[in-house]
Amino acid sequence: MKKFFAVLLLGFVVVGLAACGTTESESDGPRIAVFINGTLGDKSFFDSANLGVQAIVDQYGYDVRVVEGGNDDTRWQPALLDLADGPYDIIIAGTWQMEQTVMEAATLHPDKQFIIFDTTVDYSDGKHSNVYSITYKQNEGGYLAGIVAASLTETGVIGAVGGIDIPVINDFIVGYIQGAQSVNPNIKVAISYIGGFVDSARGKELALAQFNGQRADVIFQIAGNAGLGVLEAAEEAGFLAIGVDSDQAAILAEDGRNDVANIIPTSVLKDVGASLKRAIDLNEDDLVPWGQAESVGLTEGSVGIARNTFFDALVPSSVLPLLESADAAIRNGSVQVDSAFGMDQARLDSIRAAVRP
Amino acid sequence: MINLLTPEFFFTVIRVTTPILFAAMAAIICSKSGVINIALESIMLTAALTGVLASGFSQNIFIGMVGGILGGMFIAGALAYFSLYLKADIILVGIALNLMAVGGTVFVMFVFTGDRGSTNSIRSLQFPDVNIPLLQDIPVVGTALSGHNILTYLAILSVIGVWFFLSKTTYGLRLRSVGENPDAATSVGIDVRKVKLVALLISGFLGAFGGMYMSMAYLSVFSTNMVAGRGFISLAAASMGQANPFGTLLAASFFGLMESVSYQLQAIGIPAQIVGMVPYVSVIIGLVLYAQYQQSLQKKKTLSKQLKEDPNEA
Repeated sequence: MKKFFAVLLLGFVVVGLAACGTTESESDGPRIAVFINGTLGDKSFFDSANLGVQAIVDQYGYDVRVVEGGNDDTRWQPALLDLADGPYDIIIAGTWQMEQTVMEAATLHPDKQFIIFDTTVDYSDGKHSNVYSITYKQNEGGYLAGIVAASLTETGVIGAVGGIDIPVINDFIVGYIQGAQSVNPNIKVAISYIGGFVDSARGKELALAQFNGQRADVIFQIAGNAGLGVLEAAEEAGFLAIGVDSDQAAILAEDGRNDVANIIPTSVLKDVGASLKRAIDLNEDDLVPWGQAESVGLTEGSVGIARNTFFDALVPSSVLPLLESADAAIRNGSVQVDSAFGMDQARLDSIRAAVRP
Repeated sequence: MINLLTPEFFFTVIRVTTPILFAAMAAIICSKSGVINIALESIMLTAALTGVLASGFSQNIFIGMVGGILGGMFIAGALAYFSLYLKADIILVGIALNLMAVGGTVFVMFVFTGDRGSTNSIRSLQFPDVNIPLLQDIPVVGTALSGHNILTYLAILSVIGVWFFLSKTTYGLRLRSVGENPDAATSVGIDVRKVKLVALLISGFLGAFGGMYMSMAYLSVFSTNMVAGRGFISLAAASMGQANPFGTLLAASFFGLMESVSYQLQAIGIPAQIVGMVPYVSVIIGLVLYAQYQQSLQKKKTLSKQLKEDPNEA
């Protein structure tokens, strides 16, 4: 019996170690390491990054190593520093949780280059000249989603359920509000935050509270896995939900969950993979703005909304011209979408308060 | 704008309370037998996954339920084996199991479904909702009390069941005596270790229902780390209820109430950070008030005892 448990425990340890996946091949190009501070398989953010990596491997045949850091955030810092010590020329990591660690690694290894996505490092005083930060104009995607939501609502109240009250989540919401107001200046937007990205049951409750209490009938989820609860609430109670990061309706339909996919008119896409591929493309021609932050959006093809059969079924054709003109207006700069990055708290509060149902 | 006195609100409170109630009953059984089951979180999480997998692959809700129960009891059994038989510190084993369950469930989910976020790709089953005849026809009360998931009613029954088991059965008496004074229990021939093992297994059984409620009733899928601290909250609820089943029912409902209030508070523009604290802060305040009340009660008791024993001196 004791032996059995010993073997079992050993099994878990081996499994834990095996969680570090690799993608390797032989080539002369830059050796690239990608650090995922979480696990692949989220069918969203990190999987998108991984798709971009695969595209890089397919096109250039570079050595690319993808390392999954797992869910224990205390291991991320040592894992990334180890990677930076390794034989890599370009090290890629993402999210605000990795910001400090990337700065630390970049200072320790001035000869190496770092790419950080979905956040930006501190460039004041000319520091970190070997780091290229990619941020996303998710506010532009949010704007288009707001147009869809405001066009579909029957009650004049739409909702948003975010993960945590942080700039990257609020960036979606600020754009969403502005887009909705462009269709209906009197639109009301109920906004709640789950307080994390895993509690799907709380996501469901918050969405139901918005639907029952505020009569919100189109709710945008920006909460990763916890947002699944929002989608389920919509299916159960009979309202519409907008997905985030990847084409959630298509993914759910692929999994055989058409019941849920049927109430998702669109999803705001944040194509992390495309932006990483673009960075490496730029690197080929030595055009990467090292030591700077770049914000990519609709124009660069890194942000958008999903158009699929569910979109066609739920969104009336009268909305299409609205979306197309907004898309064009954002691209040519005649519409400036507000961003939550660098926005002061008072302004953010007043934007949210103005649309409170 | 914010309306708390609706039947729908009470319906929400009951729905939110259910998983906590199951796990709190599990915590009571353990604390009465003198063990602290800090692994409730992992028991719930594991059962939430194994229930979904078993029901998904068998397409039979009963087999799903058995799968969930076995998952929960497996973790409880592991806790018992390491702490009671190998004499490891039960708190440390519990922490280890909780940490292992977060990654372990993702791994098992990946092996069986190929996904690491949620089990959307397998068609798992849910426990049915139940409308209670007669009760559902009463206007306001019916809306609040009828139409819940069958597990919710089972949770309420489990409160009575745990009370009956602990105070009306011989085994319950033995279990309590082991918790109160293991040496005395040993002296009358009770196998203390075995009783504690049984207590842990029962808590695995009850906790498993709390977990299955999360993934097979509350939501229809398992998602990574979905229990999100409810196991710990139920430990607090059991402690607040002084390990009395009915007191714990009140404590768990109080937490469910504060949690549900917090859903409504956000809508009226109270910052999310403050709202997020409401359920937890209220539990702490509740614990402090209760402890104070107990202390003053204790003081009175000692005082009256002294008076009785030696009226002249006092």
